[in-house]
Amino acid sequence: MEARGAARLRAERRRTRLALAPALGVLTLLFGGALAGAARTSFVPLGGHATLDAWRAMFDDPAFGDSVRFTLQVTVLSTLSSCALALVVALAVRRRSLAVRAFLSLPVPVPHLLVALTAVLWLAPGGLADRALGGLPLTLVRDDLGLGVVLVYVYKETPFLVLLLLAAMGEALATREEAAAVLGAGPAQRLRWVVWPAVRTPLVVGAIVVAAFVLGAFEVPLTVGPSYPPTLAEFALQATQGDLLAGEGVAAATLLLTAAASTALAVLAVRLAKDVSGG
Amino acid sequence: MAESRLQRALGALLAAAFALPLVVLVVRAFADQWRAPALLPQVWGLRGVELAFSGEAAAAFGTSMLVAVVTTALALVLGWPAARVLGERRLRRPAFAFLLLAMPLLVPPYATGAGLTEWFLRLDLTDTIAGLVLAHLVAVLPYVVVVLLSAFGPQVTALEEMARANGLAPLQRWRWVTLPAVRPTLAAAAFLGFLVSWSQYGSSLAVGGGRPMLPVVMLPFVRSDPQVAASLALLFLVPAVAALALTARAARSPL
Amino acid sequence: MPAQSRIPLALALLALLLSACGGSDDASPDAGAAKTVSSSDPFVAIQDEARGQTVRWWMYGGDDRINAYVKDVVAPAAKAKGVTLRQVPITDTADAVQRVVAEKRAGKTTGGGVDLIWINGENFAGGKKVGLWLKDWSTALPSARYLDASDPTITTDFQIPVDGQEAPWSRAAFVYAYDSAKVKAPPKDFDGLLAYAKAHPGRVTYPAPPDFTGSAFVRQVVAAKGEDAAFAYLKALKPLMWRKGKALPKSEAELDGLFADGQVDFAMSYEFGFIRNEVRKGSFPKSVRPFLLGKGALANVSFVTIPANAAHQAGAKVVADLLLSPALQAAKADPKGLGSPTVLDVSKVDAAERAAFESSSSGPYVLKSLGTPVEEFAADAVAPLEARWKREVLRG
Repeated sequence: MEARGAARLRAERRRTRLALAPALGVLTLLFGGALAGAARTSFVPLGGHATLDAWRAMFDDPAFGDSVRFTLQVTVLSTLSSCALALVVALAVRRRSLAVRAFLSLPVPVPHLLVALTAVLWLAPGGLADRALGGLPLTLVRDDLGLGVVLVYVYKETPFLVLLLLAAMGEALATREEAAAVLGAGPAQRLRWVVWPAVRTPLVVGAIVVAAFVLGAFEVPLTVGPSYPPTLAEFALQATQGDLLAGEGVAAATLLLTAAASTALAVLAVRLAKDVSGG
Repeated sequence: MAESRLQRALGALLAAAFALPLVVLVVRAFADQWRAPALLPQVWGLRGVELAFSGEAAAAFGTSMLVAVVTTALALVLGWPAARVLGERRLRRPAFAFLLLAMPLLVPPYATGAGLTEWFLRLDLTDTIAGLVLAHLVAVLPYVVVVLLSAFGPQVTALEEMARANGLAPLQRWRWVTLPAVRPTLAAAAFLGFLVSWSQYGSSLAVGGGRPMLPVVMLPFVRSDPQVAASLALLFLVPAVAALALTARAARSPL
Repeated sequence: MPAQSRIPLALALLALLLSACGGSDDASPDAGAAKTVSSSDPFVAIQDEARGQTVRWWMYGGDDRINAYVKDVVAPAAKAKGVTLRQVPITDTADAVQRVVAEKRAGKTTGGGVDLIWINGENFAGGKKVGLWLKDWSTALPSARYLDASDPTITTDFQIPVDGQEAPWSRAAFVYAYDSAKVKAPPKDFDGLLAYAKAHPGRVTYPAPPDFTGSAFVRQVVAAKGEDAAFAYLKALKPLMWRKGKALPKSEAELDGLFADGQVDFAMSYEFGFIRNEVRKGSFPKSVRPFLLGKGALANVSFVTIPANAAHQAGAKVVADLLLSPALQAAKADPKGLGSPTVLDVSKVDAAERAAFESSSSGPYVLKSLGTPVEEFAADAVAPLEARWKREVLRG
């Protein structure tokens, strides 16, 4: 009995490994080489020997510290606001018509750079809001705190998260909620014990994707972000402006650092989600 | 739970808040002159559209579409079993496999752009459609896996067990039980996968070796010539919005 | 020459004139007696090799006039030589250099995917150090004889010797723009700009380096005042600038937008004809006029280079030679098209063709004179100036 159980467990484990193999194999082969190349660029300049110069130059840059702080601030603010808003919006529109949900999702397919351009057309000094109101009540383009960057990300990422959440809020969930209501669960209890377990995974996964993107992309801060400090991705971009070879090591080092940061955030998010759900 | 008029109005308001700002792109595409203090363009015209289509936009559209469709299909086939294993929590250390699969999402694409090009050059995969598909797959596959995994779980497994007990053959089970159960999330995964490929700039340019692709044609104009960029953006958004509508429908009505 | 029938008529006529003078090195047998001179020319062999090649020219793709010049003028001229020209539009030169660098790292010494790059001075200097570029080819181009070999802007690029590794194709000059309907007299020099900013706080700004245009603005101040005085000047200017100097545009395009929407009073560009272009795009009003700050414009030459591992080097050389030919240089200088100044020494061009160059500086949107041009800085002096600006002006 026990032996047969162990054999079944082994077979099960083999099946699991087999299921993961294609995706893991393709990504390890194709992406592993790319990542190794990035790491090497940060240590070995073209035609030179291994050195820590690029990493040193990154840490020595007076803008680096400010850049780390600002990047984390923008990432945390954008991710948390998008997640909170997405939950509220998803709950508000889950029984609405197809048209409502399609219109709501319109920012999803628009590339970040175009969303940032849209923000500039509306919100920049001399832009449409300025023209319509005869003056801007607050500065959102190139503001010191990066609120414009956060706003653009919230506008762009909330519909993305809503899309993931709505996919998890199908008819099955509605049925279970009704059952819970019949059993006497109030709205808050239904939210905590029926809805939350269903949307937790897509929300955490979506938050990780959003946070990693915000950490590593330069389009939005470059278009609407403050003149100083730059985000880490902008910092990397600036290093390669003018002479690519002179700055590619610093850029690679900076971006690998942001990759490490987003991996750490992802681990944290997975842990946190487990604790919250208790499973 | 009765739908109040208030709830309906709130839904419409939210949809408008996210959709309406984008109208400015349409106006910008057809504005030959649009300067402060005018709220509407001073001169309407087709300069942007004419320039957008005078280049290689049509060829770029075709190549981008081919690559995006093939990449998404490939990613769904490769990603499905992995997403299932992760979603059903059949691993002792799911976090490790999850992080490995999500790695390309966690590393900024700009970081690995040069490394990816070099690696693809070594593998002799540059300047071909197949190479483009594989380069896009690196970005698309993680998306598909992490989105799709939330579709699987005890509910789906329970349904499948019921079907098995009722004597449904594996293929029928997949067709009539599994697929309908995961359809909304599958549609979202396919849609996002398509979008990720459709929007790839860096790898399209470097690995494709200058073969016209829609983001490659569009991006240079975004800063310097918003009218042309907006016109190309409309072309860019037509299939993306169509795919979006299909996704929304799939999420709405399970089979 | 039936193969040239697709070229616009004026250009075809110019090309015809040119080949009659032996300038185009056309290998066709009916080109006349002038050909006997060039039959021993090694370039004939290059042209033979180039026939049937497709040249991928990686270059900035965000300017519709430059794109049109490449597509409507350069590509047909190349086609007439049997070379297919494909523009690869990029957002930044770094995109092209990165591909060449990746090929070098991957050990791809032949068959490279980039045949020709419109290169900037700093990337040229960086690539030259590690041997990215093909050597000793540009001086051997037949059309190179129309260049002034004693002109340092032709023989050096950001003070780095060209050494035959890149060929000039266009000229750039740093000009400023003001709206004559709003500002009566624009400042004449940098002190005048500071005085203007004092009288009109918040109406002046410039793109933040390391943006190309902003960096060139800072270099101009340094050239005019000396480095330390220049930074004192920029610090004094900062609080008087748009948004008190706390926010600066990050690109020339952004400054153009602020200027067009009336947020600031001056725009600036390293592109001599940018006002005409922005007026044509409906971005600037027709009353905008150019002006200079200081004795003369910061001047620079645009070059093309061929990577050492390029797959189609012969074709790339043919295209680079065409770009330098009087016919194409005249077409490029035509204000109705690109309207950017020629790199040729016009006195070396045959008298019959010289007239085509004379209309290039006409019109209200371009300056008649660029003053005493200010020479560009050494390539390795640019980054330290940008770093100092970031340290002292941006953060300070």
